[in-house]
Amino acid sequence: MLTATLSRMPCLALSSRGQRTLSLFSSSGSSNWSKVVSDAEKIVGYPTSFMSLRCLLSDELSNVAMHVRKLVGTQHPLLNTARGFVYDSKNSLQMRGLIVLLLSKAAGPSHAASDLLAEDMVSGIYPSQRNLAEITELIHTAFLVHRGIVNLKEWTVSDGPLKDMQFGNKMAVLSGDFLLANACTGLAQLNDTKVVELISSAIGDLVQGIYHENFNNTEEIGLTDGINMASWEEQTFLSHGSLLAKSCQAAMKLARHDKESQRVAYKYGKHLSLGHKLNSDLQPFVKGGMGEPAAFSLSTAPVVFHRQIVGQERWHQQLQQATTLRNQLDYSKLLAAVKSGKGVSTAVDLCCYHGNKALEAIQAFPSSEARSALENIASAVTKF
Amino acid sequence: MKRHHSTPGCCFPFPVKYNLSQCTLLGNMAGPWWRQCRRWSTNCTTVSWFETSWYLNGRSVSSFASTLGRKSGCSGPLNERHHPASAAQTHSKTPNFTLSLIRHTSRFLYPTVQPCCCRTTHSDVKLKDPFTLAQKDLTSLYDDIKKELFVSKDELKFLCDYYFDGKGKAIRPMIVVLMARALNIHSNRAGDLLPGQRAIAMITEMIHTASLVHDDVIDGSDKRRGKRTINEVWGEKKAILAGDFILSAASMALARIGNITVVKVLSQVIEDLVRGEFMQLGSKENENERFKHYLEKTFKKTASLIANSCKAVSILVNSDPEVQEIAYQYGRNVGIAFQLVDDILDFTSGCNQLGKPTAADLKLGLATGPVLFACQQFPELHAMIMRRFSTKGDVDQAWQYVLKSDGVQQTSFLAQRYCQEAIRQISMLRASPERDALIRLTEMVLTRDK
Repeated sequence: MLTATLSRMPCLALSSRGQRTLSLFSSSGSSNWSKVVSDAEKIVGYPTSFMSLRCLLSDELSNVAMHVRKLVGTQHPLLNTARGFVYDSKNSLQMRGLIVLLLSKAAGPSHAASDLLAEDMVSGIYPSQRNLAEITELIHTAFLVHRGIVNLKEWTVSDGPLKDMQFGNKMAVLSGDFLLANACTGLAQLNDTKVVELISSAIGDLVQGIYHENFNNTEEIGLTDGINMASWEEQTFLSHGSLLAKSCQAAMKLARHDKESQRVAYKYGKHLSLGHKLNSDLQPFVKGGMGEPAAFSLSTAPVVFHRQIVGQERWHQQLQQATTLRNQLDYSKLLAAVKSGKGVSTAVDLCCYHGNKALEAIQAFPSSEARSALENIASAVTKF
Repeated sequence: MKRHHSTPGCCFPFPVKYNLSQCTLLGNMAGPWWRQCRRWSTNCTTVSWFETSWYLNGRSVSSFASTLGRKSGCSGPLNERHHPASAAQTHSKTPNFTLSLIRHTSRFLYPTVQPCCCRTTHSDVKLKDPFTLAQKDLTSLYDDIKKELFVSKDELKFLCDYYFDGKGKAIRPMIVVLMARALNIHSNRAGDLLPGQRAIAMITEMIHTASLVHDDVIDGSDKRRGKRTINEVWGEKKAILAGDFILSAASMALARIGNITVVKVLSQVIEDLVRGEFMQLGSKENENERFKHYLEKTFKKTASLIANSCKAVSILVNSDPEVQEIAYQYGRNVGIAFQLVDDILDFTSGCNQLGKPTAADLKLGLATGPVLFACQQFPELHAMIMRRFSTKGDVDQAWQYVLKSDGVQQTSFLAQRYCQEAIRQISMLRASPERDALIRLTEMVLTRDK
């Protein structure tokens, strides 16, 4: 399985074609990403999501915002999710919507769509495609919120008062449901049952992905049999790729583009998401070693691949060596152990593979400003 | 199409007093309903019950009945636009008090007469039992749902199937299939369900179950239908995801019907369910506002699903908006009545009957119909409602007040009103065993004890 995955990594395919050099450990880092994203936002006209805005300004969510203040001082995850909306440090909050818009623009008006009016387009994008971009964001945000539900039976004093945690859950369930419900009504307004079916299936994928992510890769599972790379990709596609891939496909469907354009758009969304996830999983392993490394999840790609490569026995030894007397993990030790193996480079290779696949897919569209932006985003994903 | 949620001042409940003649008439005509009332009024004689409803702060249930408008909360149980005959509802804007009262009376006489006529002219002796009649269309319901929930992961699948064990009452799918058959016959077709109609019955149950799973997390419930809840057994995180998954599967099945109007109608339900849940978070200071809020919440949380599912099955067979409106109004009125009775049972039924502990609503801080009516007789309840029964002893005390008051009877009476309206609506369809079963069903909604 492992060799099969490795064999399909023609990592520097593009650079050999001389189009682009993919310097893997360039120092450009996240500032590069921010620039790529903000440049791209200018291309699609107004990036502000009106549907999300309407949701944010609704009585229901203002109510939640008021209540969330009660959670200050507790460990309820909703607090951090809410903070993230205000301060988007990674500049990736509306990334999905942005990509749907860029793809819509890159694909241009469709010849088949005689009843779709070209005049309705704003900055080369149909209104229905804009709505779809917003729906994609709503769904993504809804699950950010639902991911932050806590199990009350695992409550400890350090979390804060149990009552507040209960309340935090209530708010998280309600606001996530509210966003999802708005996504459902928004979807129906797109007037295309195929698109409704496609995006609903993406929601189902997302749920399954999160379910795996939460309950198969918990920290204790560091001791049980890990997953292999193929199943990592499968699960990561569900939790991080399906929504974008299917939204990209749906954007083509809404403009009546043919099956081939839909397939290409799906591919771009899929590979970009996987590349993006690998890139962010790799961050703790490729950053300069300044100070204590932050704790990282044992289900991130480099660790999963490392385990797969060194085998369970060796991995258990390394885990034990990195465990302190107080039964806590020394992350710098573990980091060093993972770095010494091939897990990191395997993940980097896979990241490049997906970035390049995305680049490849987008070549099917005519050259344009929007396509360049999509290319920049795809290559930014392969830079660290 | 966005809709308004509250339009203050648009419909203002104004005091309506019953006069005794009106009551007598009602009592005579609505024989079965009347006996039903007495079930609730254990210690009351016939006369005293009417007297109570008569001097109830000068504000009777009928004024409340008219406060919950269709969708916007602006019109009464009827929709003026589609049914000129029901123009009586405009009484809320009519300054002439007497006139409006007369209209009011006649409106409620009509529906009780109607089913009697049907019985004599169309069907033989007894109205068909809805359960028996719907059975043939529901045998594969849960198997079909489980097929929709097919996922690779064992545990998630198990969680999603958990409540589709055939032990639920499946009252919503039952209404949907009966309505579909009644509408098919009304539209000059064979009664047999169209594939899309069958799918809607299934989707209705799925949406309902998904919302139950989330509600149990929100309310912190540990029992449902005599089983431990998903959140109790597997934790809140998994419960929420299971609910989300059921919803996504329902949404896919809905899209596959291939009718965008049907998708829109049922997506509205999902939004209503959430908005209704949000409405439960707040309490209104003003009494009239509070009742209006309660009925609107009841519509969104319970009736919207039934009303819109009925509408959806009608869209698939009949393009006439008036027919669709009949289906919608039947579902809406039955749905509200169903929830009102549910709220009554929270006070009257012993533990275990509903599969949940009694006075559960009070414990959750919710003031339902019986409490709101009781508050008119015992203003002491007002403060408790506002603090959501959070002080120690509030729940017990509120419980006592409700049982001392005629809150339960009043709520029951209100539920009957909604059922009468449902009967009036459904009677406009061509006679069929299924239609008569839907009429019979309203009676069962009122008499159920679990």
